[in-house]
Amino acid sequence: MPMYKVRSFHGASGAVRAEHFPICMYRLQNLHRGPAATAPPHQEEVDPSLLALESRQEEILKRLYELKTAVDGLSKMIQTPDADFDVTNIIQADEYAPLTASAADLDSMLGKDYGALKDIVINANPSQPPLSLLVLHSLLCERYKILSAVHTHSSVKCVPENLLKCFGEQNRKQSRHEYKLGFTLIWKNVPKPQMKFSIQTMCPIEGEGNIARFLFSLFDQKHNAVTSTLIDSWVDTAIFQLKEGSSKEKAAVLRSMNTTLGKTPWLGGNELTVADIVAWCALQQTSCSNGVPANVQKWMKSCENLAPFNSALKLLQ
Amino acid sequence: ENNGYSLGSEQDNQHTKITFSFDTDRVLVRINDLTVEKADEVVWVRGRIHTSRAKGKQCFLVLRQQQFNVQALVAVGDHASKQMVKFAANINKESIVDVEGIVRKVHQKIGGCTQQDVELHVQRIYVISLAEPRLPLQLDDAVRAEVEGEEEGRATVNQDTRLDNRVIDLRTCTSQAVFHLQSGICQLFRETLLHKGFVEIQTPKIISAPSEGGANVFTVSYFKSSAYLAQSPQLYKQMCICADFEKVFCIGPVFRAEDSNTHRHLTEFVGLDIEMAFNYHYHEVVDEIADTLVQIFKGLQERFQTEILTVNKQFPCEPFKFLEPTLRLEYREALAMLREAGVEMGDEDDLRYIHIYDTDFYILDKYPLAVRPFYTMPDPGNPKNSNSYDMFMRGEEILSGAQRIHDPELLTERAQHHGVDLEKIKAYIDSFRFGAPPHAGGGIGLERVTMLYLGLSNVRQTSMFPRDPKRLTP
Repeated sequence: MPMYKVRSFHGASGAVRAEHFPICMYRLQNLHRGPAATAPPHQEEVDPSLLALESRQEEILKRLYELKTAVDGLSKMIQTPDADFDVTNIIQADEYAPLTASAADLDSMLGKDYGALKDIVINANPSQPPLSLLVLHSLLCERYKILSAVHTHSSVKCVPENLLKCFGEQNRKQSRHEYKLGFTLIWKNVPKPQMKFSIQTMCPIEGEGNIARFLFSLFDQKHNAVTSTLIDSWVDTAIFQLKEGSSKEKAAVLRSMNTTLGKTPWLGGNELTVADIVAWCALQQTSCSNGVPANVQKWMKSCENLAPFNSALKLLQ
Repeated sequence: ENNGYSLGSEQDNQHTKITFSFDTDRVLVRINDLTVEKADEVVWVRGRIHTSRAKGKQCFLVLRQQQFNVQALVAVGDHASKQMVKFAANINKESIVDVEGIVRKVHQKIGGCTQQDVELHVQRIYVISLAEPRLPLQLDDAVRAEVEGEEEGRATVNQDTRLDNRVIDLRTCTSQAVFHLQSGICQLFRETLLHKGFVEIQTPKIISAPSEGGANVFTVSYFKSSAYLAQSPQLYKQMCICADFEKVFCIGPVFRAEDSNTHRHLTEFVGLDIEMAFNYHYHEVVDEIADTLVQIFKGLQERFQTEILTVNKQFPCEPFKFLEPTLRLEYREALAMLREAGVEMGDEDDLRYIHIYDTDFYILDKYPLAVRPFYTMPDPGNPKNSNSYDMFMRGEEILSGAQRIHDPELLTERAQHHGVDLEKIKAYIDSFRFGAPPHAGGGIGLERVTMLYLGLSNVRQTSMFPRDPKRLTP
């Protein structure tokens, strides 16, 4: 495209008077003085190795393009799966993600410390103790330094001794700010378990399942979207159908659990998740008249081998 | 006894004698015992005329006894003449009367009375003590809730009128309930502490030097010189600990010459004070004090529900909530919580933001040393802090306490630091020179605790005859 031609600023000779040069810059060799400089570059004989390089590049680019179209096609296939496609088969390939989030991660998960101990306050009715939350509390205590406390609210007349001591002997010698997290359980006359967290804008979270999910998220276990959804689904199934459902519903859940536990050691796959905790606790707190199928029994034993479940069992006695 | 009605006094020339001719067999039944169980019985009742309303051949009276009242009917018939009905209708309100009548079941509940299922059919009525015709305030107005007064355009009685005519104001069912509950608080305080092994002591109120600093103390002339009225039993409580009483409490007046006219300050109030020697940590004392208060709250909840509900009718409020064991946070945490909520901590130290725990009662521990009195023990872990604590009810401070310095040298140093005249507190410092146990304590104000437990808004409502910079009588 032709451009606007500017009149030469500094004379046809091309020589600039010395006093016009700035002294703060370094001098470059004059690139325009060479004889061939003003002629436009023309195609020369190119090095053959350069040509080979270029053709290799072309080839790689072509192959990349082919791969990209192949992957796009496959991804479309996965997004609209076959009705018979069995997702549970994928779970086996999930990476093992142990419960080892570091203490520093708590800050990123729960928000920056503004000077007061981050306190998780849970209100629960002593007539329906939220067993899964107690198990989760024990697990949390294994990972983080937690200041635990149990209180009785004035709306409740009398709380049995074992519930008052559900956190065991508490050593309160240290100052509050030396703990990473607070866990305060208040036995109160509430219809459903309720959690409040010491951030002023947060509204309370209700329901044992929801609170269990929150507490488990503090372990920062990473799952893919499918696994996370399955875990969530098991939590809901355990609360609504196993714990609160009719005997027919319970039997159906037990059958489905049996099937799953035939394929994987835990409900969510290869490792313990909140689904197992909530389901195990629901089974403890509900009566199963028809007995429990074999795989479920085996799984229950595996749960009970872990200390937090064991101490929860003692609480029920 | 002429015709079954009369005044109980005789006029004898210029003298009026009040004579009693009483029947020792007569048993007076309490108005709150007038229930359907006594239907058709003849009873004698003594009460005040709360209201009277004549309608032709009938007169309806409401007889009142403390918080309870019952409807009484004087009707022309076998037992009553027209003159008697007229007599009954003209007895001045608040007069004390003795009434003999038959208890009758009613078909429709009497909404305006506490005894809703029965009424008294009067056979005989005597005036025991006549009230003057014009009352300085109407009890019905005094019991009316503010809101109801505004909405219906009915009168309510303002605080100054009540306080000027306290004797009548105290007769209302609300006042009766308040002070019955207050008596309960004292009772529970004593009971709980005695049960915990505390000893009740009495401390002098005329003292030689101001205990909390010279600014807010009353001076009294003491023969040729002057003395002061005690601002707290602080110094004497501590001396009792040094005298090996280990755990003491005292209930007595406290005098503060503070010229503040607020809803929660009085110049004279009743102090309930505790002091205790501890073994290893001052939290032993904090836990005991908190537990004492929790036992008081529980006791009130159990034994004074009627009183609480009566007060709530005129002054509605949420029931008092608390946790057991008591919630205890650190002062700097509370500050941080307030900052997070965007609130500045003012003089009133209003901390209603601890709502996630849903408790009206909590403790703040470890206050900065600079804001506490000279005898407060500094925090060994952090010299800027002190081993001191405040307790709050419904966001207002009810107790300020601390571990006390029990070492005479440290005490002298801190006193000098605060510019306290060492000569004036020589006797106090001397009491620690011969082996003093580590100890801590605190005190509450009876009126303020009553006010906050019931959710009332002014401490004068919970002080029988309040004293403030503007009021010295009744």
